[in-house]
Amino acid sequence: MDLFTAITLAVFLPFIMAGILPAAEKVLKNRIGWYATATAFLSLLLVALAVPSVVNGENVQGSVAWLPSLGIEMSFYGDGLSIMFGLIVSGIGILIMAYSNEYMSKREDLSRYYRQLLMFMGSMLGMVFSSNIIQLFIFWELTSITSFMLIGYWRNRPMSVYGATKSLLITASGGIFMLAGFLVLNIITGTFDIATVLQNESMIETIKGHEFFLFALVLILIGAAAKSAQGPFYIWLPNAMEAPTPVSAFLHSATMVKAGIYLVARIHPIFSGTDAWFILVSGLGIITMLAAGFLAFRQTDIKGILAYSTISQLAYMMAMYGYTTYQYPGIGVAAATFHLLNHATFKACLFLVAGIVAHETATRDITKMGGLRKDMPVTFIIGSIAALAMAGVPPLNGFLSKEMFYESSLEMGHLLGGPLEYLIPAAAVLGGVFTFAYSIRFIDGIFLGKRRSEHLPKHMHEPSLIMLVPPAFLAVLVILIGLFPSVAVHYIIEPAAAGILLQEVHLHVSLWHGFTTALMMTIITFIAGIALYTKYDTIAAWQDRMNARYPWFSINYAYDRIVNGAPGKSAAFAAVMQPGPVKPYLVALLLLFLVLGAIPAMLVATTLVPADLNFNVPPYEGILLGLIVLAALGTAILRKYLHAVIAVSAVGYLISLVFIYLQAPDLAMTQILVETLFTIIFLLVILKIPQTFRENLTRSVLARDLLISSAVGITVLVLLLNATQGIASPFESISYYFIENSVPLARGHNMVNVILVDFRGYDTLGEIVVLCLAGLGVYNLIKSRSDSK
Amino acid sequence: MTTLITKTVSKACVPIIILFSVSLLFAGHDLPGGGFIGGVMFASAISLLYVAFGLKYIDSIYSYQWDKWFGAGLLLASLTGFGAMLFGYNFLRSLYMLVSLPLLGDVKLLSTTLFDIGVYLVVIGSLLYVFKGTGEDE
Repeated sequence: MDLFTAITLAVFLPFIMAGILPAAEKVLKNRIGWYATATAFLSLLLVALAVPSVVNGENVQGSVAWLPSLGIEMSFYGDGLSIMFGLIVSGIGILIMAYSNEYMSKREDLSRYYRQLLMFMGSMLGMVFSSNIIQLFIFWELTSITSFMLIGYWRNRPMSVYGATKSLLITASGGIFMLAGFLVLNIITGTFDIATVLQNESMIETIKGHEFFLFALVLILIGAAAKSAQGPFYIWLPNAMEAPTPVSAFLHSATMVKAGIYLVARIHPIFSGTDAWFILVSGLGIITMLAAGFLAFRQTDIKGILAYSTISQLAYMMAMYGYTTYQYPGIGVAAATFHLLNHATFKACLFLVAGIVAHETATRDITKMGGLRKDMPVTFIIGSIAALAMAGVPPLNGFLSKEMFYESSLEMGHLLGGPLEYLIPAAAVLGGVFTFAYSIRFIDGIFLGKRRSEHLPKHMHEPSLIMLVPPAFLAVLVILIGLFPSVAVHYIIEPAAAGILLQEVHLHVSLWHGFTTALMMTIITFIAGIALYTKYDTIAAWQDRMNARYPWFSINYAYDRIVNGAPGKSAAFAAVMQPGPVKPYLVALLLLFLVLGAIPAMLVATTLVPADLNFNVPPYEGILLGLIVLAALGTAILRKYLHAVIAVSAVGYLISLVFIYLQAPDLAMTQILVETLFTIIFLLVILKIPQTFRENLTRSVLARDLLISSAVGITVLVLLLNATQGIASPFESISYYFIENSVPLARGHNMVNVILVDFRGYDTLGEIVVLCLAGLGVYNLIKSRSDSK
Repeated sequence: MTTLITKTVSKACVPIIILFSVSLLFAGHDLPGGGFIGGVMFASAISLLYVAFGLKYIDSIYSYQWDKWFGAGLLLASLTGFGAMLFGYNFLRSLYMLVSLPLLGDVKLLSTTLFDIGVYLVVIGSLLYVFKGTGEDE
């Protein structure tokens, strides 16, 4: 099997399996989770097939035409970066789905749960392997939608619904900004294919020199920040913790929230090495890292702590990907990529441990826990390994990437010089200190200290192996990558960094690398972290007080104001724009017609009325036209509905006579029939309403109405005069085409009908759809009115 | 309105109008007519029945669900479009053949006729759907 097929299959397999999952559930019943696990395993195998070739520097690439007329094709591109993400997504996917077998109660809607998980996995794989940016966008939004459904999995819990809505609103609208950024990129480069841009140095130079450079960058970064919960967009992630814990572990720590980071890494070659890139990406990263790390203190929900820690860890990567200068683009790329992999392992593990704890204690409140090490020693060990890795303690993998973070911060500061030489490393250390403190909090609050049994169930025990093995596996990975980093670095990190930097990368990562400044910084981090931890509760209490005193000083407050205010605002808007009676709409429409139709027509026309008017009207037509005018006047003047309706239909019948004179039998016949039918419908309606108009118009309103209607009438007259006998048309009439071709091409002698059903058949199809919708609309309007009575 | 004269006249007229509407539908390609006009004519014939005999009486004999008519029409018109795709042509491309039938002689068969029947059904269905909805309303 060639590798392009393998990648394509890896992406679509989860979708296909999700499609036939309900049928499989009938056979497998409660063991359906293993079916999903097997699917993830197959996807992992398919992705892994590409690893040897990518390690040798040969990327996988291929495409299938999809919307050729728009230049959009389905194309996949697998370089080191995509493969790394593909391995993380499918690998963590296996563990999550296996774990869910035990975590999700048998009474839950398992079919929906696994279907959505599989669809998410497919979308995520599709996103990271997409070469075409429109396709990337589609998969990107698919991950937002599946995430929405999974956060809102427990549909009857208000907080789940709130969290799901919030995440969808923020990530999906960020996606729209990103799409706009992609379109700007397309304007600059003329291609939708990201691999083409990456392989074309002159194209990258064009982008960097283009006036829209900053515009495209900001738009794309908004999308990335919204997805990865960076900057002000972080607010959705804490609320997303309402999802079932395996979902949080999968989507909201290991994979989906990294989509924004992936995007930043993906566009790194295009935008990096500029000041704007450093300021925007690193600035956003550093601010988020510090703010989220600090805000984590207040959290009492164990998943809440993990959510804030995820935000700050993602911000590390963001900051590192931003470390670039003109001479040295990509200072932090290898470090960020390594941290990305490490974070996926230890954070997913932490979430799974949190899931076990919440499962056994039936609470997620850390203030009610403590002393669980005696009841669950194995869980305690696994959780501690993962938390210490997050804190950056050797010999675990988090230590290595944290050191690299410090190193790259030092180097970046050194290159920039000035006060930044000290500020950037100092910010990095401060971020590390916060991380250390909340990591210790996780271990201490849950497992150490005294058991507060008044809140906890009497008998707590280790979970079954199904729930224990996945986090244990991750904990072993955490240790192995820490002790023997070279394997992961060679097969995963080097190709991924090569994919970002577009050149071969050789890294030397080892546990002991001498007594460096970075090691000094780590030691400072530990000491300061322990010192900070002694004040942990004081700081949390202070944060609570500030929050109570200044509730408006938060992004959530603004979000709630906007979202909760929306129904009221739109109702007010509708009350103004849609008052109910027909007249205001008609006035608006006619005024619009005057502004858009009359004024431009007058500007274009040299004279208002053509000089040589031909008013040679035969007498019978004159009489007919006079009658039409009379009937129309009657419509306007008559006071009773019945009379007015008859006058309207008189106008219609008289017009059909005009059609007969003009030798248009089709039109005449249609006009008569429609007129008849609508007169009957009108009569049916007016039988049930008051017989006279009860409209007392003031003189000014009457004058306004008269002015508008006569202005419209005169405009139409002038336009018609010009159209029929005035200005020579710049275009040839299209009717000649139909006259010539209706018999040879469509075998029909009735040109009107031939146009309707053949030449313009597509239009007619649209029209009959409208007719159906109009019928349904009228019917439902009538019915809903009688229902509400 | 529902005098004996109206009832008798409509009984006599309605079948003729319906036949005429069908002939309009099929003649449409070469002579004045077509699905739209035919449909409106059919609808006015039925509405004559409704007015002459009353909705309830007609419903008691046979309750027409006009929404099904326009649903079917829309389906037929769209399927005609897809039919062309089965033969490898673009959506809605018209197809044509001449067939010799006993008694009728040479008859030209057009895919557009099927499309026009779809239009016919949609027009009948939606007009009478609205008509009946308005009439039933209290």
